[in-house]
Amino acid sequence: MAHITINGKVVKAHEGEMLLAVIKRLGIDVPALCNHEAIEPTGNCRLCMVEITRPEWEGWKKNVTSCLYPVEDGLIVNTHTPELLEIRKTLLDLQLARCPNSELIQKMAEEYGVHETSYIANVEGDNCIMCYACTRICEVLGKSAISAVMRGQKKVIAPPFGEEPVDCIGCLACAQICPTDVIPYEDKDGIRTIWKKKFELVTCKNCGKTIVTRDFADYLIEQRRIPHEYFETCDDCKRLELAKKMGGLITKAAEVAV
Amino acid sequence: MKYRFEIIPSLCIGCRTCELACAFSHAKDKKPGRSRIYPLAYAPDKYVPVVCLQCDDPACVKSCMFNALKRNEETGAIDLDEERCVKCMACVAACPFGCAMVDAGHDEIVKCDICKGNPACVQFCPTKALVYNKV
Repeated sequence: MAHITINGKVVKAHEGEMLLAVIKRLGIDVPALCNHEAIEPTGNCRLCMVEITRPEWEGWKKNVTSCLYPVEDGLIVNTHTPELLEIRKTLLDLQLARCPNSELIQKMAEEYGVHETSYIANVEGDNCIMCYACTRICEVLGKSAISAVMRGQKKVIAPPFGEEPVDCIGCLACAQICPTDVIPYEDKDGIRTIWKKKFELVTCKNCGKTIVTRDFADYLIEQRRIPHEYFETCDDCKRLELAKKMGGLITKAAEVAV
Repeated sequence: MKYRFEIIPSLCIGCRTCELACAFSHAKDKKPGRSRIYPLAYAPDKYVPVVCLQCDDPACVKSCMFNALKRNEETGAIDLDEERCVKCMACVAACPFGCAMVDAGHDEIVKCDICKGNPACVQFCPTKALVYNKV
């Protein structure tokens, strides 16, 4: 257990956990776009900047991304200094220039008093903020089907060569984790389309409900040794099946008792 | 595991009070959540409350690629860490009993967590078909 001071309040925290986790636990409003528990933090959006200092630093301070800074005993953290507010305002101004159509960015910028970007707005571009959450989650899954391609202004997240990604299994993790919801996908007539690749969805043999793609189910069966029968029916039908199975046992037990 | 969640189907009358108790105890943003428990009829007027069985060898935990599902040693339940969940639906598809579900209203995955050791359904069950006891 380490003791750190956040905004003048001494709090207990686990040694080694990231500052942002502690800040969030305390309910302090520090914005963050690219942070997610399932992926390693990389500090790409930089919105979670906080000011840190220590008594022995004799007044020296520095601004760090809290998602990447591990807790150390005796750390003094400030989350809302005028300098930090100015940094966040500039960052959100830049984000708004990059994705002027994103509702989330608009809302966050509004909170920091940025109603319109002071830079040239990229009106025709998509809402991608280049946080790499999608590529990182794909890596966690063990697929790495997408990555950043090109450099500078032309940089985009895309499958290799802009073609259908060979390694993609259509699990939707990238689309779900994206903070600005820019990865389009469609589920229609038992077919899921994502990254221009078409996937067959596993259809419940009783009611026709679809949950995951065949490729994702096969991946789970192979990687995690889950019996393939588990994927044949949907959750609604499986619950009913369980009720019937248990009911059958009760009926049988009653017959035996008689 | 110190406690055991017991279901006694012969006592269930299918009143669905547990469903209401569950939905309201998992309310978020002033909206009731999706119930984690469902009394389902296996014959006319005969019901079984279907709820997560917190399996010993859980398919949901195995299927989760992001380690969002973990056994809570205190309650014995398998807890879903919402911060880690990506909503890939692997657990929904993999659970052989269909007890990991999608709550469309809150846009999240739900599964029974035994209310962190104080199950609301047990408290409200009028016929005591649901029991939560120390082993």
